[in-house]
Amino acid sequence: MRLICLILMFMASIIFAEKNHDSHEHHGHAVHQNDVYVDGKKFKLDKERFDEFKKNLRDVQVAIINVQGMVCDFCARGIEKAFLKDTKVKKIDVDLENGKVVIAYSLNKKIEFKEIREKILMNGQNATDYKLMKI
Amino acid sequence: MSSLYSQARPISYPEGFTLMSHSDTYKDSVYFHYSPSFKYSVGLEVAKDDYFDDEYSFFRFTYLLNRKNTQNSQSNLYFQSGLDPENFDRHFYGLHGDWETRRWFVGFGYKESFNDFEDFSEKYLQFGIAPYLGKYGDLHTWLMFKTKKNSLGDGWSTYPVIKFFKGDFLIELGYNNKTRTDAHLMYRF
Repeated sequence: MRLICLILMFMASIIFAEKNHDSHEHHGHAVHQNDVYVDGKKFKLDKERFDEFKKNLRDVQVAIINVQGMVCDFCARGIEKAFLKDTKVKKIDVDLENGKVVIAYSLNKKIEFKEIREKILMNGQNATDYKLMKI
Repeated sequence: MSSLYSQARPISYPEGFTLMSHSDTYKDSVYFHYSPSFKYSVGLEVAKDDYFDDEYSFFRFTYLLNRKNTQNSQSNLYFQSGLDPENFDRHFYGLHGDWETRRWFVGFGYKESFNDFEDFSEKYLQFGIAPYLGKYGDLHTWLMFKTKKNSLGDGWSTYPVIKFFKGDFLIELGYNNKTRTDAHLMYRF
């Protein structure tokens, strides 16, 4: 019985792993793991994910925030919920692989890193720096 | 008996609710908690104890003693406690710690429990690896090994555990012929 359970567990894991791997290959995940340039400065980000994020966004300011300690979806979900309470946040995404949170704010929002850092700290992570760009 | 289960993130994000159920050799329980901040959670656990053939509840309090964040990891040390509101002689306290990257996981726990029948302690160690790294929102999978000891039992029990995690849901399953099935379900909102 133990052996059967072990085999089932590992088979299930391999199936899910393969499925995920295929999905990433289909989207060219490895190829799109690029640096994004903000004001001429490199910022490591999943370019494919960032391009998807920017799609249909107009007249917004986008903050790309470097966050430490964001190792799982629960951390990301907390950050997402905290920022979405702000009515001037139009869209938010989390790039777990590169430890980045990407937030689109309306243009009339005065963005201050102190506020961002405190919101992320309230969730239990640390924001170390950020870049701002306009779309 | 209260059993020690490895809670993935025993405190939620601020203002988050968590509903979890757990089943193992010793008990079946449902635990609901609320986290006013990322530092602590309060909740109620209702348990059916198979070892002592008893039913009871605990008011529970979990506190984050320490957290260290780096770019690729997070480590935590938690204090956990519980008190039966109908019988103060039944209570527990302990420590739970973990270190996690997106690829690796190491966790441990130690708990002392007291009741009218027989006091006991529980400890565990858990190691895990993610066979692939999913993006935010993907299905995440962990292959783990857990070794645990309950002072009421007969020595250490080591067995494989598999954990699936997607969105607000988590399921963790383990099995060996000593401990039967360990099943842990969690929904966070």
